[in-house]
Amino acid sequence: MAKILYIEDIQDNITLVEKIVTSRGHEFLYAKSAEQGLELAFSSTPDLILLDLGLPDADGQTLSVWLKGDPALANIPIIVLTAWPEEVVQHTVEAYNLNGYLCKPFSMQALLKIINEALGTKAL
Amino acid sequence: MTTKLIPAERFSMQELTELYNQTRVDYLVPMPMNADRLAEYVHDFDIDLTHSCVARAADGQPLGLSMLGVRREKAWITRLGVLPASRRTGAGSAMMDFMLTGAASLGLRETDLEVIKNNTPAHNLFLRKGFVETREYLVMRRAPHPITEPIQGNVAWLKFDEALDVLQSYPEHITWINAYESMRNTPDFEGLKIELRNGGTGWLVYRNTKYTLRSTLSHLIIHTENGDPNEVGMQLLLNLHNRYLHHDTYAENIHKNDPHLSTFQALGYFTNFSRIEMRRPF
Repeated sequence: MAKILYIEDIQDNITLVEKIVTSRGHEFLYAKSAEQGLELAFSSTPDLILLDLGLPDADGQTLSVWLKGDPALANIPIIVLTAWPEEVVQHTVEAYNLNGYLCKPFSMQALLKIINEALGTKAL
Repeated sequence: MTTKLIPAERFSMQELTELYNQTRVDYLVPMPMNADRLAEYVHDFDIDLTHSCVARAADGQPLGLSMLGVRREKAWITRLGVLPASRRTGAGSAMMDFMLTGAASLGLRETDLEVIKNNTPAHNLFLRKGFVETREYLVMRRAPHPITEPIQGNVAWLKFDEALDVLQSYPEHITWINAYESMRNTPDFEGLKIELRNGGTGWLVYRNTKYTLRSTLSHLIIHTENGDPNEVGMQLLLNLHNRYLHHDTYAENIHKNDPHLSTFQALGYFTNFSRIEMRRPF
């Protein structure tokens, strides 16, 4: 099982993703701001980060640069979960060298599929 | 629905932030804030909370929020938003009337605002209130990546006062957030000037915002004084990004016909979204 960090400011989204992730036995951590997310990533070294682009202090793109810019965190896969228009998200994932995205609203199956792909697992 | 309008100065920054975030929860481009960022926003962009407002229903339920910036003879409407469940109730229109009346009472000459392109309900509201489209701007991002192009030019880095001096000389229109008065309010404003061997000259100013753990670049304005804008702009941006190799960059409100636009794009900038600037004279 994996340790998954979700960085997202909206509690309803955190609650939903927590239910999905923990239903498969993963450990779930969350942060509600970019700086809290960065600090939690340093202290917990997750296996996967789920990242919202709209955060209240610095946005998700900027946070991904901070995460990727640290050697201890650079190899952690980052999946974007966002309500931004898909075309913009595609550009963002490519430009910021992220590992994938899901546009909100998304299904439980879609989230588990992308998590599994990012973790390199097949049947969690 | 009866809408009660209350000056925003009667609310704490935390209350205003929570309301603002609720209005943006399903927004075309979600841009939540925390109370510190909203307080900076109010300071940097000269928001007049006396003439900004919170809308409430007759039963006291919050409906929305809007803010008015005030500078000399001009006003600027920003952060206008209505909670998703309260849209199409007249709350947005009522808040617009509150702010336009306030701006008129201050003797202001005109009011500007920017609306995200394709936000049709807001755009239509502004048209109904007498605003007309003036310009279109791009909001662009650049992720940090290695510089491979040759870097040239004699560069002088500008400190706060020097950067302000060159910005004040900018001959083109600048939107409210990038204006001299905005940058004057921020401690992290910098710039550079360049002279190329072929006589090309120009400058670039920007904010270098320091968070607790990292920094980012934003609010870029480029001006070519002499020579080819592509060449001068390219070398200005190359020198900037070579100095700040690991900084994320957010270039906000670049005019869609800016002569340096192709240079931005050549260096990896891509458009996040577009804004339409609108103006209403009194």
